Amino acid sequence: MSEKKDKTSRRGFLRAGLVLAGSVVAGTVLKPFNGVVVAGEEPKGDTPWYGIGIDIEKCIGCGKCAKSCKLENNVPMEPFFFRSWVEQYTIAKDGSVKVESPNGGIDGFKQELPDDQIFKSFFVPKMCNHCSKSPCVQVCPVGATYVSPDGVVLVDEKYCIGCRYCIQACPYGCRYLHPAKQVADKCSLCYHRIKKGIQPACFEMCPTGARVFGNLRDKSGPLVKFLRDHNCLVLKPHLNTGSKLYYNALSGEVR
Amino acid sequence: MPQQIRRLLVAFAVFIALFLVLRYVMIPTSFGEYGHYRGRSLEDNAAKPLQFTGNSSCIKCHKSIVEEKSRGHHAGLACETCHGPALKHVTYADTLPHAKLPDSLLLDKPAERKNCALCHNRNMARIKFRNDTVNISMIKQVDVMKHNLVDKNNESLKCIDCHFPHDPY
Ligand code: HEC
Ligand code: HEC
Ligand code: HEC
Ligand code: HEC
Repeated sequence: MSEKKDKTSRRGFLRAGLVLAGSVVAGTVLKPFNGVVVAGEEPKGDTPWYGIGIDIEKCIGCGKCAKSCKLENNVPMEPFFFRSWVEQYTIAKDGSVKVESPNGGIDGFKQELPDDQIFKSFFVPKMCNHCSKSPCVQVCPVGATYVSPDGVVLVDEKYCIGCRYCIQACPYGCRYLHPAKQVADKCSLCYHRIKKGIQPACFEMCPTGARVFGNLRDKSGPLVKFLRDHNCLVLKPHLNTGSKLYYNALSGEVR
Repeated sequence: MPQQIRRLLVAFAVFIALFLVLRYVMIPTSFGEYGHYRGRSLEDNAAKPLQFTGNSSCIKCHKSIVEEKSRGHHAGLACETCHGPALKHVTYADTLPHAKLPDSLLLDKPAERKNCALCHNRNMARIKFRNDTVNISMIKQVDVMKHNLVDKNNESLKCIDCHFPHDPY
C-alpha cells in the first residue's frame, strides 16, 4: 500500500514539475521578465519624457542653481530645506573623502585642505532624480505623490497628509517636509515652467551650461545628444530606481 | 432563513451602503484619471507662479547693457543669475512705464567682492586638467583675498572698480 502510494506521487511530482516549467516558459514568452533595468525605460506614448543631464566637469559650484530654485519655488531659506543643492567633494591624497555643502552652496564654497594634499576635488549638483520607478511614489499611502505622464515626479499638496514616508524612502535625500504647509515638498522640475515651454529655473540660471534639460524621446534633442557624447552614470544604480538624472564624469565616491 | 442571519445581512447592507456613500464623497472626481492620483493636481502644479522671466525680456528697456554684455566674456550668463528673479520688475515696469519703480521691485545690484567670488574664487574643485596638461577649467579664477585687494592709497577695491560686470575687461 505504502509502496504504491510512493510510485504515484513520483509520477505526480514529475508531471507537476513539467507543467510548472512549461508555464514558466510560456509566461516568459508572453510577458518578458522585466529584470534589472538600470536607467528608466520610457513608457509607450507620445507625451514628452523628461530627463536631466549634469556635466560635473563643467560645474563651478557657484550655487546659483540652489539659490534660483529657492526663489522660484518659495522654498524656505533656512539652510536645511533644499530642492536642489551642490556638494563639494574633496578626495585627499590619503584617500579620505570629505563632502561639504554649506547652505547648499548658496554662499559659496571654501577649500580648507591645501592644494598639495588634494588628490581630486569636484562639485556635484544634486536634485530629484525623477525616477521612473521611484520608491517615494511606491510608499505613499494616499496617492499624493506620483509620476506624471511626462515623467516628472510631483506632489499633490492638497492631498498629502504629511506622513513623511516618502522622505524616508527617497534614497537620494531629495525630499523635505515643508514647515509651513506641513506637506512633503520636492523638486517639481519647475513643472509650471516646463509646461509653458521654458527651462526650469536652475537650468536657466546655470552660468556654464553644466545642466542639460530635455525630452528623452526626442532623439535629436539636447539631452539625447548629451547622453550620446558623454559616458553618463546615474546615482545608486543598484537600487534600480530608474533614475533619469544622468551625470557625466561621476566619480565612484559620490553617493 | 434564521432571524439572526437576516439581521446580519441587513447590517452588512447598511454598512456597504455607508461605505459606498463615504467613498463617493471622499474620493476627488479626477482621482484615477491618469493613475493612482488626483488628475487635477497636474494643473495645480502647472499653475504655480513664475519668478524668473529669462534673458529675452530685458532687451526692451536695457538695450545698451544687453548689447554690452553680449560682446564680453559674460555673454553666456543670464541677467537674472546676478540680479535675481525679475518677473515682477518687468511686469510692473511694463504696465506702468512712466512710474518710478518701488524699492521692492528694484533688483539686486551685486557689487561686493563676495558675489564675484561665488564663481571666480580660486578653488581646486574648479580647476580641471585633462591628461595633466590640457586646461579644461570652465572659468578663470583669482584668489579674491589677494587679487587687487587695495589700491595705492590702501583703499579697498571692489571687483567692479576695474572690471565692468557686464563686460569684465
Ligand atoms: C519694461 C521695462 C523694463 C524691463 C523689461 C526691464 N527693466 Fe530693469 N529697470 C527698468 C526701469 C524703468 C529701471 C530704473 C529704475 C530706477 O532707476 O528707478 C530699471 C532698473 C533696473 C536695475 C537697476 C536697479 C537699481 O537698483 O537701480 C536692474 C539691475 C535691472 N533693471 C535689471 C533688469 C533685468 C535683469 C531685466 C530683464 C529680466 C530688466 N531689468 C527688465 C525697466 C525695465
Ligand atoms: C556678473 C553678474 C551680472 C550679470 C550677468 C548682469 N549684471 Fe547687471 N549688474 C551687475 C552688477 C555687479 C551691477 C552693479 C554695477 C554698479 O553698481 O555699478 C549691475 C548693474 C546693472 C544695472 C544698473 C545699472 C546702473 O547704472 O545702475 C542694470 C540696469 C543691469 N545691471 C542690467 C543687467 C542686464 C539687463 C543684464 C543681462 C543682459 C545684466 N545686468 C547682467 C552684475 C551683473
Ligand atoms: C554666475 C557666475 C559668475 C559670476 C557671479 C561672475 N562671473 Fe565672471 N565669468 C563667469 C564665467 C562662466 C566666465 C567665463 C566665460 C567664458 O570664458 O566663456 C566669466 C568670465 C569672467 C572674466 C574673463 C576671464 C577670462 O579671461 O575668461 C572676468 C574678468 C570676470 N568674469 C570677472 C567677473 C567679475 C568682476 C565678477 C563680479 C562682478 C564676475 N566675473 C562675476 C561667471 C561668473
Ligand atoms: C585694480 C583693479 C582690479 C581689481 C579691483 C580686480 N581686478 Fe581682476 N584683473 C585686473 C587686471 C588688470 C587683470 C588682467 C591681468 C591679469 O591677468 O592679471 C585682471 C584679471 C582678472 C581675471 C582673469 C584672470 C586670468 O587668469 O586671466 C579674473 C577672473 C578677475 N580679474 C576677476 C576679478 C575679481 C573676481 C575681482 C574682485 C574680487 C577682481 N578681479 C578685482 C584688475 C583688477
